[in-house]
Amino acid sequence: MREFHEYNPIAVAVYYLCVTAVTMFTMNPIIIGISLVASILNYALYAKGGVKPHLFSLILFVILAAVNPLVNHNGMTVLFYLNDRPITAEAAIYGAVAAGMTVAALYWLRAFSKAMTSDKLLYLFGRLSPKLSLILSMAIRYVELLRVRWRKIQSSQRALGLYDDGNLIDAVRGRARVLSILITWALENGIITAETMDARGYGTGRRTSFKLYHIRMRDIAIIAVCAAAATIEIVGLNAAAIEWYPIIEMKLFEPVSIIGYTGFGILAILPVIINTKEAIRWRYLRSAS
Amino acid sequence: MTIIKNQTVRTVLRYVIPFGVIPALVILGATVFDEKRYLIISFGVAIASIVLFMTGIEKKNIGSRRMVMVAVMTALAVIGRFIPLFKPITALCVMAAMYLGAEAGFLCGALSVLVSNIYFGQGPWTPFQMLGFGLIGLFAGYLSEPLRKSRVLLIGYGVLAGIAYSMMMDVWTVLWYNGSFSPALYLTAIVSAIPYTVLYAVSNVTFLLLLRKPMGEKLGRIKLKYGV
Repeated sequence: MREFHEYNPIAVAVYYLCVTAVTMFTMNPIIIGISLVASILNYALYAKGGVKPHLFSLILFVILAAVNPLVNHNGMTVLFYLNDRPITAEAAIYGAVAAGMTVAALYWLRAFSKAMTSDKLLYLFGRLSPKLSLILSMAIRYVELLRVRWRKIQSSQRALGLYDDGNLIDAVRGRARVLSILITWALENGIITAETMDARGYGTGRRTSFKLYHIRMRDIAIIAVCAAAATIEIVGLNAAAIEWYPIIEMKLFEPVSIIGYTGFGILAILPVIINTKEAIRWRYLRSAS
Repeated sequence: MTIIKNQTVRTVLRYVIPFGVIPALVILGATVFDEKRYLIISFGVAIASIVLFMTGIEKKNIGSRRMVMVAVMTALAVIGRFIPLFKPITALCVMAAMYLGAEAGFLCGALSVLVSNIYFGQGPWTPFQMLGFGLIGLFAGYLSEPLRKSRVLLIGYGVLAGIAYSMMMDVWTVLWYNGSFSPALYLTAIVSAIPYTVLYAVSNVTFLLLLRKPMGEKLGRIKLKYGV
């Protein structure tokens, strides 16, 4: 069983870059509608946060949708006046579409953040330079190490009777001392790390690296689908012309743009299809044995 | 996938990016695309500048001790980002830059954003944040002598860094929301971000003043003792 997020990080990154870019660089309401639905479905595959993130998105949507009509007074159809300034239907609709775009992009990016764990990030960014990848991997490792050490120092200080968080001043003082010890320890320990690196011959030869991911056919297939869909998108979206001000004029259903919508729809729903297919196969295989 | 492991490719990139890619992107943005494409252009330029800097790092002889120091400072900055409201990330990058050099400052800023966004959420804002904090570190490194000597200058730098960072991210907010740059929306964004800007500036100054002596002593001692 291989879920979409377990594909090669390059393929996953290209996929999310594609869907987010298409979502962010269009104001086509149909594309944004598809994107919004698909991104929520896709996010629901991985999220275990319950209702909270969706509630946040809803509030964000309302605020963002309200900003544009309050700032922008273009448009012919005046709904009402606020402080002698016209609030127009065109600006309100534009604001709603822009807010939908932002919320959809945020859903995509949240799923992307869930997918990009530190090992995948290292695989992607470490390619820039071997030195950089070394610093990056050390930094990622130190984050957890320093947290563990913080707790160690804190408990030993407490055992020594030097740490007290009864009142605010003592708590701040205690934390400052723990922090001071932590930094000294980390820096001294870092020097030892550097010494051992030098002693074992760091920098004398070529560095080899362990590769966790291989590029398989399915990864290439994903990248190809993304490239194809992005091309269709660029052509299809240019065909659909939208004028927002002073009156909304949309030509949304040109034949080329319908192909564009279909292409984007398939692309956007791809992870859901892959994961559902794998889940069905898994159940089938289990029940067959 | 060994894109930039090759020495010659790196050398070529160092010259192609500033003299080829970035001007080409800007000219392309001005002529070929309509106004809706500002975001792609700025995104491309941000990524190109980061790549340019990272390829430069590979050529420099940083030394393993300095590399480990940068990693430690980066990890501290990442942990610092978990403190609610007050973030010591700028202060730590500036400290790293003052004692370990401008490159260390840039790396500390850019990488601490990259790593902490594993927890806070990656997105198209990541390159902009990386560039923002990286530049704060870089300039602090160039100004390291006066910053180490004068406390007033350090406070000034903290305030300025907070304001500059906030205004830069507001440009990005407007570009994302609106597609093209709009002065009215930018003003709205700046005004609505004033509490955050003040918070940035205050926490920068607070942490710089708090960390200046103890952190400076520690880093100075390490430098003296081991010759980083």
